[in-house]
Amino acid sequence: MSTQRLFNLPERLGGIFGSDRRHRLAAFLFVLPALVMLLAITIYPLIRTLQLAFVSLELSISPNEQYVGLDNFVRAFTDDPRFWNSMKNTAVLVFVGVGIQLVFGFVLALMANEMGRRRTVWVTLFMIPIMIAPVVAGFQFRVIFNDTFGPLNYLIEWASGGRITPPAWVADPGTSLLTIMITDIWQWTPFMLLIILAGLESISQEIEEAAQVDGASYWQLLWRIRVPLLLPVLIIGVLIRMMDTFKTFDLVFLLTGGGPGSSSETVAFYTYLNGFRFFSMGYTAVLALIQLVIIVIISQVFLKLQQRRGAI
Amino acid sequence: MLRHKRYIVLAAILVASFVLSSTIVVAQGGPEPLGLTDFELCPPFDDVTVTVVGDAGHNLAPYDFWADDFAEMGINIELIEVPFADVYQVEKTEFVAQTGAFDVVTFYPAFIGDFASNGYLMPLDEFMSREPASVWDPHQEDVLAPFRVLYNEFGGSTYALTIDGDVLVLMYRTDLFENPDEQAAFMEQYGHELRPPETWDEWLEVGEFFTRSAGETLAGEVLDQDFYGLAEFGRRSFSWAWFMNRAASAGVMYFDEEMNPLINSPEAVAALQNMVDSLQYAPPDVLNFGYDELRDAFIQGRVAMVVQWTDVPKKAADPEQSVIVGNVGVARVPGTLVGDTVVHRSMMPVGRVVGIAADSDVPDAAYCVIRHIAYSRSLEDVSTALTGLDPYRQSHLDNVEAYVPLMGEENAQAYLAGLEEALQDGFPEIFIPGAAQYEDVLDLHVNQALAGQETPQEALDAVAAEWDEITDRLGRDAQIEVWQQALESYRALGLIE
Amino acid sequence: MTPHNKKVLRQIIIGIFLTLALVFFLFPVVWMFLTSFKTQGQIFASPPVLVPPSSQWNLDNYIAALFDSGALNGIRDSLIVSLSTAAISVGVGSLAAYSLARFRTGGEQFAFWILSTRMFPPVASAIPLFLIFRELGLLDTYWALIIANSIFNLPFAIWLIKGFIEDLPVELEESALIDGASVFGAFWRITLPLIGPGLVTSFLFTFVFAWNEFMFALLMTRRSVRPLTVIIQSLAGGHEILWAQIAAAGMLAIIPGTLLVIFLQRYIVRGLTMGALKN
Repeated sequence: MSTQRLFNLPERLGGIFGSDRRHRLAAFLFVLPALVMLLAITIYPLIRTLQLAFVSLELSISPNEQYVGLDNFVRAFTDDPRFWNSMKNTAVLVFVGVGIQLVFGFVLALMANEMGRRRTVWVTLFMIPIMIAPVVAGFQFRVIFNDTFGPLNYLIEWASGGRITPPAWVADPGTSLLTIMITDIWQWTPFMLLIILAGLESISQEIEEAAQVDGASYWQLLWRIRVPLLLPVLIIGVLIRMMDTFKTFDLVFLLTGGGPGSSSETVAFYTYLNGFRFFSMGYTAVLALIQLVIIVIISQVFLKLQQRRGAI
Repeated sequence: MLRHKRYIVLAAILVASFVLSSTIVVAQGGPEPLGLTDFELCPPFDDVTVTVVGDAGHNLAPYDFWADDFAEMGINIELIEVPFADVYQVEKTEFVAQTGAFDVVTFYPAFIGDFASNGYLMPLDEFMSREPASVWDPHQEDVLAPFRVLYNEFGGSTYALTIDGDVLVLMYRTDLFENPDEQAAFMEQYGHELRPPETWDEWLEVGEFFTRSAGETLAGEVLDQDFYGLAEFGRRSFSWAWFMNRAASAGVMYFDEEMNPLINSPEAVAALQNMVDSLQYAPPDVLNFGYDELRDAFIQGRVAMVVQWTDVPKKAADPEQSVIVGNVGVARVPGTLVGDTVVHRSMMPVGRVVGIAADSDVPDAAYCVIRHIAYSRSLEDVSTALTGLDPYRQSHLDNVEAYVPLMGEENAQAYLAGLEEALQDGFPEIFIPGAAQYEDVLDLHVNQALAGQETPQEALDAVAAEWDEITDRLGRDAQIEVWQQALESYRALGLIE
Repeated sequence: MTPHNKKVLRQIIIGIFLTLALVFFLFPVVWMFLTSFKTQGQIFASPPVLVPPSSQWNLDNYIAALFDSGALNGIRDSLIVSLSTAAISVGVGSLAAYSLARFRTGGEQFAFWILSTRMFPPVASAIPLFLIFRELGLLDTYWALIIANSIFNLPFAIWLIKGFIEDLPVELEESALIDGASVFGAFWRITLPLIGPGLVTSFLFTFVFAWNEFMFALLMTRRSVRPLTVIIQSLAGGHEILWAQIAAAGMLAIIPGTLLVIFLQRYIVRGLTMGALKN
């Protein structure tokens, strides 16, 4: 994995690669299958989504569409606090949750990096949570977090000699979102660990040794050499995790059902309800469009970050 | 690159798993035929395959129990098990897509309005009236009125047959309620006798009375963990039905004749307040109680009483799962004092019915299958602990002997008597198209009130406002029409004036 | 203390911290393993039964999950879908990645667009895809899931492989091209063998993502195809959640991914550290 130039072609490649027309054609053909596949999930659905956004299509009543102009948009922006609440919950998961994954993953990767050859064993063990389907993880954590028969609160009470009364986790509106965040952190910190570790290992030994010869302390090495060099890996890692966390659905469905109240509804969950429970296709389209716009904005911010780093 | 040996091992594992996964049939046990129901099998078909879709688990077990019967009719059953929570989504998308994948559809009757009005289901009237009756008649007259009228019929036709008659009942610990010390203590504290709560106010009293901390005594024994007076279904999805138990008994209907919401009336607000108040006597994680958690809190001996579905007494009688075998009383769900009589209402959430997909290409065989399950072998299916199906026919209530092997003569009689009483109080879900939306909004706000995020008044005002918006979006005139049909059937059942 | 001893001590201390972290990350797995041997009653016991009694250390729940509940067929279906998905994603992805890495096809915006399609709300594309598959008669076939999963995993595969290719020195390819090799020839004979570990890593991740996918699996399948995640979710009935069988099936579900990691471990770590090799 690259630590640099994830999106920048090395300058000297201009020569033979770009010069020949046959090569350019080949390059286009190479990318064609992927392009067609990705267009299939973006362009056609996007057109259909755009069209649906302006109609009322309530499949629980009838398969007929009715043009309603901007009604669906007006409803989403002015008359649906539940949607914005689910946005807020999602934002917490995306920013706080992924932030914690980044920090944990970074620290663990620094530690694993010190372990020399033995690190492969550690890495293999750390990868196990990634192997577990969210469906399965959801069921396990539902028991683990259970106040009555779950092991977590039992262990907390046992370890504290009964002095700490742990929360009811999924049953408490104050902690229900936290349970989803913890599960996500559990499952995906290893992913961060893995890519950061790979990034660390690709930093040239010579650079690090040269810095040490110059008398740089561990922390100076970390902040002046490693972090700047790792930045592209961190940016991509965070972006990928933010994308997936933005779509958190299975865990909500299994762990909390969105409750208590609306305390753990995420935007993907709410969109799912509108699409596959209420079958309100027009409104679902508007919700999807709003998410799409947010996604585009976030990824553009990351692209700018990436470019600015490239310029330095 | 890779050493070949590893490839070979990997390949061997893959091949082995493919070979293993070819057909392995495991014999299933099932209840013995009781011979208490008169029926004849359909004349044999020519090796027809009928695809049945339903929520996964023990409620599809009857298709295995009676595999021999189906074989005799020349019918192969192919079961599609769908996760409980996804049944509506899978069936609805299939109905929209029309790939012809399903013949027999098991669904929750709340969706009968949606499925029937959209033409997804075949009307059954013609099959039901075929001759000879011994082969075709599903004896709908034997099905208890609420399960027939509310679960099966839409717009004057029958679209489905009931296979699971869900209704809520009150279950309580007889060993606690009959304990003389507890009775005396209760009398002293409240000035009247301890009994299973008749009203929702008494529900609070009894709940408070039996809520004890670890170290206190309960019925003469020192508790080693906290004990709670009551528990309800607090998890998002059906918590609203436990609210409606109260509201309906106070006379609250969902809408008036013109679909104006009645859900935020003072009676409804008081009902929700009662539910909110009751949670202080429930286990601290009650807001995560779904069916499982609620059942286990009761049969594992952690609460004194619950309002639950009627199959729980069957589970409570099973020493493998239950620590309260023989100590379970069944009574009507508490009610509300209206004038000088106590009105009881118990919700009939979930329930299961079977219908035939309109695009099935084997409708005759599909009908024979649903009639067999819904009528011919239904007594066997509802009286075994191997399913979660609950009685729904008069004949299910009359044949006590069917339940004796499972729970003994005395308990069986008490169970059926309690059931019969509860069934007279049955109150329906919102059985019109759009049910999923109306119920979700109600559940959300009831749950927010339970979680302390809204006051009962705020919660129910919000429901009323959102219900109006839903009705407008779905088309007010058409909704009023189907709602008035629904009201008519409620009137016929005596649920409203 | 000698520098060597100091280093060993440092490793021991770090090892202790890592072990503590592992306890957090493996506890749910251990719990699942223990649960897979419990009876239904033990799962709801309070206080919890941490370790089931020795008489229950048998494979009953595994056998029930595999044979009664259809997990065996689920494993077969999931294997077919996941292996095909991984093969297609890596195949199509490596071609595209090569083009992006070496020819900068479409520029940075295009590369970023590809990555951002991973963010497309699945609910938004699920229904149009569902309708397309219906038109093509692909619902309830392996193809529906293979295509859907491949498309959704493609951006990730492209991104990963592109990183590997960019880390390779270009001289070899350049000289091959100058010697008259076609672009495909240079890609096939020179680049692919060198990014083998990268391909393995991408294969592993796309396999695992497809293996664990649930929403499309539920939506696109009926009766002929029943992936493991759908089977597992089906064990949660309305009246009964078969926790022990879910745990047993969950343990089985970890096996293919873990086997892949163990067998391919050297290549994964090497794959993820290609940059170091370059230096």
